Amino acid sequence: MGLLSPQDEATLKAHLSSITLPVQLVLFTQTFGGSESGDVAKQILNEIASLNDNISVIEKNFVLDTEDKAKYKIDKAPAIVILSDHTDTRMRMYGAPTGYEFVGLVEAIIVAGTGKIDLDPETMAWIQAVDTPTHIQVFSTPT
Amino acid sequence: MAAANENITADAVEATEFMDLSRKYRVTGVPKTIVNETIEIMGGLPEKMFVRQVLDLPEEPEA
Repeated sequence: MGLLSPQDEATLKAHLSSITLPVQLVLFTQTFGGSESGDVAKQILNEIASLNDNISVIEKNFVLDTEDKAKYKIDKAPAIVILSDHTDTRMRMYGAPTGYEFVGLVEAIIVAGTGKIDLDPETMAWIQAVDTPTHIQVFSTPT
Repeated sequence: MAAANENITADAVEATEFMDLSRKYRVTGVPKTIVNETIEIMGGLPEKMFVRQVLDLPEEPEA
């Protein structure tokens, strides 16, 4: 049984229809000793990917796939790396993207899949002027 | 922000899943934003205000 209702699926599918670039969702989970939220994350990503041919899910093992873990600098699982046409967008999600966090994931997928960032021009200028490493962590909960 | 600049990385972290991190950053309410281990921003803010605080830009003088 899917996590999304048929109505939610239809709404989401329409929302994702603006995507024109391939989006890869690289999911790191830990099979043994890991959190059950990895399975939830996997189900959510697969449901999203089923709604748009441009979206694909690539599964990685947090323990075994050490090269990719280092490449994407992943230090905890479950983790979702969002790629736009195989290019790292530098957006990550840690934990199962449920509740309000699902919205954030969808918006990140749309940014990756359209290449469009909907920000005020002045704000964008500030962001594009950043020339030092800047690591942002936003803590949230599903409800 | 991360998608707009190669110098920026952005993590969305589920606070109840990663309790050790939540304790480290004293996350008692969400959303809470941590920037480079030093800047802490509580709550949701309007776009410009949020970006100013994340980038540690000076506030606009009051009109």
